[in-house]
Amino acid sequence: MSNTLRPYLSAVKSTLTAALTLENFSSQVVERHNKPEVEVRGSKEVLLNPLTISRNENERVLIEPSVNSIRMSIKIKQADEIERILCHKFTRFLMQRAESFVVLRRKPVLGYDISFLITNVHSETMLKHKVVDFIIQFMEEVDREISEMKLSLNARARTVAESYLTAFNS
Amino acid sequence: MSFRKIDIDAYDEDVLLEGELCEPDPRDPTQVLSDAKQKQAAVRSTLARGDVPGALGIALDSIPYGPNVEEAKNLTLQTVVSILNSTKSSEIISVVKALSQDAQDTLMKYLYKGMGMPGWGDVSGSVLLGWHEKLTEVAGTGCIVRVMTDRRTV
Repeated sequence: MSNTLRPYLSAVKSTLTAALTLENFSSQVVERHNKPEVEVRGSKEVLLNPLTISRNENERVLIEPSVNSIRMSIKIKQADEIERILCHKFTRFLMQRAESFVVLRRKPVLGYDISFLITNVHSETMLKHKVVDFIIQFMEEVDREISEMKLSLNARARTVAESYLTAFNS
Repeated sequence: MSFRKIDIDAYDEDVLLEGELCEPDPRDPTQVLSDAKQKQAAVRSTLARGDVPGALGIALDSIPYGPNVEEAKNLTLQTVVSILNSTKSSEIISVVKALSQDAQDTLMKYLYKGMGMPGWGDVSGSVLLGWHEKLTEVAGTGCIVRVMTDRRTV
């Protein structure tokens, strides 16, 4: 792992571990409802201070904790137009299948590329450190995935262009 | 205007207001600003002598918090970041260990605030991340929880 990525991921990991202290909390407004407070934002006292962890301007993570849920949003590095398109397609693909990932949110928070919503149900039914590890692993692999896709896209474009232009060569 | 969309809970007489969550700073905003300026000068002279723990102790003492003191907050952040940038990475652990628990929590608040505005002034992500790692090692995740729950945001 590169030298600057490691402290970034370890900061995200420790912050997530700290934020994942959730408990069951019924809605204060509607009786017999139980909603993630970070999403409804009904009351100020159950929302905690949101924390940002950034590696540079283009790569950052926003963690919004509350009493019974946390929302974590990731901004993935996008250096150029191709990476932006690939990143958009990739996150869209994942978010359309959000149920299979359990903790994934169907829409990203404004200004970020992908969001996770972890509620107390998740932290009760799953092991906390495994959830944290899953997200850290996702962050590790998403950069690699996108740069790999970019390389294969360029290689494919080159082959296509070459085979197309050979027709004019003879 | 559809009457169903009116948030009637906001008109409740025992509704919780932003200001009730934490005690406001007892000092006057102008005094807070002059305090911050004084501290910046004191930190500069302490840093010139090479005393990083001392400088950090001064900077993290009686910090501005709450509403109406944006200028003083930015000034203090600048002061703290200038200390962080001028510290060698091998010294960080010993500096952090020398701080009291309250000062450690306050430092963590400034680290998150600095990371929240990358590219602002001379804030650099990698320096802050290095400090964050060392501080978490020393103070534990409890330090981060205290930053999340403390309403006295810097």
